[in-house]
Amino acid sequence: MQVQVLSARFDIPDANTIEVAKKHGAYATLEKVFAMQPEEIIELVKASGLRGRGGAGFPTGLKWSFLPKNIDKPVYLAVNSDESEPATFKDRYILVRDPHSLIEGIIICCYAIKSHAAYIYIRGEYTTQVKVLQAAIDEAYAAGYLGDNVAGTDFKLDVTVHRGAGAYVCGEETALLESIEGRKGQPRSKPPFPAVEGLYGCPTIINNVQSIASLPFILTNGPDAYKAFGTEKSPGTHLFGISGLVKRPGMYELPLGLPLLEVIEKVAGGVRDGRSLKGVIPGGSSTPVLTPEEAQTVTLDYESMAAHKTMFGSGGIVVLDDTVDMVKLVENLISFYHHESCGQCTPCREGLGWMLKIVKKIIRGEGATADIDLLTELCDNIEMKTVCVLSAACTMSTRSYLNKFRHEFEAYVTNSASSQAAM
Amino acid sequence: MAEKVKLFVNGQEVEVESGKNLIDAIGAVGIEIPHLCYHPALGADGNCRMCLVGIEDGRPPLVPACKTRAAEGMKVQLDTDKIKKIQRDIMELELINHPIDCPICDQAGECKLQDYYMKYDGQQSRMTVKPVLKAKKLDFGCGVVHDQERCILCARCVRFTRLITKTGELGIVNRTDYARVNIFPGRPLANRYALNVVDLCPVGAMTSKDFRFKQRSWFLTKSKGICHGCSKGCNIFIDHNREKYKDDIIYRFRPRLNEKVNGYFMCDEGRMTYKLENDNRLSAPQIDGKETGFNEAVEAIRRAVSQANKIVVAVSPNASLEQMHAVQQFASAVNAPLTGYSDGYFRKGDGDDFLIQDDKSANRYAFTLLGIDDSKAGFEAAVKGADLLLSFQNDLSRSLNETEMTQLLATVKLIMIDSSHNTSVAKAVVALPVASYSEDSGSIVNCDGRLQRYEVAVVKNQPACTLIHAVHLLGGEVKNGQEARIGLQASVAVLKDVDLEQIPAEGIALTENEVAHVAA
Repeated sequence: MQVQVLSARFDIPDANTIEVAKKHGAYATLEKVFAMQPEEIIELVKASGLRGRGGAGFPTGLKWSFLPKNIDKPVYLAVNSDESEPATFKDRYILVRDPHSLIEGIIICCYAIKSHAAYIYIRGEYTTQVKVLQAAIDEAYAAGYLGDNVAGTDFKLDVTVHRGAGAYVCGEETALLESIEGRKGQPRSKPPFPAVEGLYGCPTIINNVQSIASLPFILTNGPDAYKAFGTEKSPGTHLFGISGLVKRPGMYELPLGLPLLEVIEKVAGGVRDGRSLKGVIPGGSSTPVLTPEEAQTVTLDYESMAAHKTMFGSGGIVVLDDTVDMVKLVENLISFYHHESCGQCTPCREGLGWMLKIVKKIIRGEGATADIDLLTELCDNIEMKTVCVLSAACTMSTRSYLNKFRHEFEAYVTNSASSQAAM
Repeated sequence: MAEKVKLFVNGQEVEVESGKNLIDAIGAVGIEIPHLCYHPALGADGNCRMCLVGIEDGRPPLVPACKTRAAEGMKVQLDTDKIKKIQRDIMELELINHPIDCPICDQAGECKLQDYYMKYDGQQSRMTVKPVLKAKKLDFGCGVVHDQERCILCARCVRFTRLITKTGELGIVNRTDYARVNIFPGRPLANRYALNVVDLCPVGAMTSKDFRFKQRSWFLTKSKGICHGCSKGCNIFIDHNREKYKDDIIYRFRPRLNEKVNGYFMCDEGRMTYKLENDNRLSAPQIDGKETGFNEAVEAIRRAVSQANKIVVAVSPNASLEQMHAVQQFASAVNAPLTGYSDGYFRKGDGDDFLIQDDKSANRYAFTLLGIDDSKAGFEAAVKGADLLLSFQNDLSRSLNETEMTQLLATVKLIMIDSSHNTSVAKAVVALPVASYSEDSGSIVNCDGRLQRYEVAVVKNQPACTLIHAVHLLGGEVKNGQEARIGLQASVAVLKDVDLEQIPAEGIALTENEVAHVAA
């Protein structure tokens, strides 16, 4: 089932160095790239059907074409490497195992969108990753792949690594821009969208690491080779981080469209012996949970996930078996989003803390049925009333547990009621 | 005139100014969109989410009104169940961690949370868990006290120090519900407009050390006035109250919107000049430092005037146009040179490029209009050979040093007609109390040549005689303000076509264009 498109050089020793990477094909496609017109590259990426790998799955080529035409301002590329969503660990492999695929992708993208400055916004906790990435960038400069004459052409490109300071919300694209500009990482109201008014008020494209790292393959082998993987509407491959209570957790590159259960069984070895599947978080902590019944029919692509009222997300699959206490899982979940709320706008700032306290109250055995109902209502009251979707990441997932595993919440409430009655 | 667009609010067609955001555009035709963080002087931030409105057929269908421009044909929904529920939900979230200590909060009565709770919320609290505890009564400096628990993080104060004063003392630290407004350690507010954050704060999080716990806002009478702290003439509210068995006292000045003068703000120093209206007032007439009756003092002055060989009359640069005219007429009747010498009212280099002016008097511009000389040379020539100096509220001790003052008083008897105690009053042979500007009405012209009018704000239990009436009692021809205005129109060319009784709220720039426009 596993394929090697993004991960082709992952297992080659020292592929993070330019010498080894080049021996295995890195930067080989640039000659072809610079022989093309930027518009042709955008069309080619559109034709490949590549979709944004940050979670939303927005078509990458289409995103690039939203840049205003004939503008006198510089265009920026910001690479979102603030990988912080719980259960998501895909980009870190690219950063450490094959940073040159990212740099090559950045060159391709910047040439296509006519940008001469790219920022890689990297999660602050990624200390090893930033060292390896920076070393690779230095090598690329030394080898003439970055700087004033990229690959011997007159195309100029500078790449700057910007380390975050530990905020999940900076993975939200406009908070990321605020952070690069030196301000507190808080999302901006949209519109204006970054493609029109982004970094330093200039048109900016923000792409995920994995999206950018997919570009060298697409340019080298053509859109049809990329579309040979995956489904019609969700073509290509994806790095899946499978974690949770499975026998072989890990990072696996798979084509899109595979049946979820089959992947869990065959790739990750299935749930531990003697245990049964209780639920699956399909794409990072913010995606609504799937019951075993739903997991039966869902496939790993954007359309099937949407049809099952969840999201493809980041490819971070968490397998839950029958030992998992869903109420405590929700407590952990809300606790994360509460901690990471930027505190800018009212519903998220005040609401997530309230939700967390209600769940804690239920777990302490002091809750009532009304608290479960209030929790459900708060999800509705907060969701989509905010500047960004951080609160929605919390409420959409929380609601799925409340709906699909309400009996577990009720058990806490009933137990507390009976124990009170006994007293 | 700004271009107009037609749009629909709750299905009803309204015509509003184009280009404005929905809060201002729709607000201008009397339809309120509730908002906490938006302030016209600070722009839209979009953090409170209270102004979310529906846009029918819009993409997205739910938008913050503060960040949405009014556009032709737009269908704004304010009264749908969905929007009403959002407003209620946002209010609930604003209030869950709020201490709701209205009974001891200075903001009570003028608090947006209170108003909006009554109008948009009204439900019982569902908060059964412990609220977030934060710090209280933090001294932020410049007389500003902050309560983090009352704060709703709208960031108006933060934006004020960044956008208006550009001093940036305030920031919001921490994330999530640990977020709070704070100063940097050891670096309190240090700007001359800091107390504006108290006015800007929509809730009781920012209070004035000077005002807090003094009065409930609903007892205050909020009269319009003009600050006399400097020559800018900032428009203010004079908030005053007469408590039982007490006199009418001013408790605070607050800035009053005038886009043409001070916008929404005023300086802290001007704000504190309300104290001069309350304290240290000259209340009893004096002869040789001893209290006497009003009529006796007037008689004494009249006698001095009739016996003097050469009289000099001085007038204050704070006097209104009407008062100056009355004094001018009087001086000419008694054949006395009139001086406006008041160099001591300047504080050189004190002004800034925002509101504060070097000239700490309110109406010096009028000296030019009325031809009153305020030069030192003119003053020295005037007092030469004089034996009586009649000063109308001009405290010469501010402009003359002690030696000069002693020399002057060696040959000249000083009579003060004034509202407050000062060095000149202490040295006067006769001192006659008159009303101060908050107890009188009049017209003044600010440093930019803008004519403004103020009315009587405070009525004391025993109202002092107005300056014009005092001048009249001393033999002046002008009996009252109305007569003074007729005289001014006849004698001052630029005021010829100005109706001094009907000066518009924003004042009139005394340039020919605007005067002609108003007259037409």
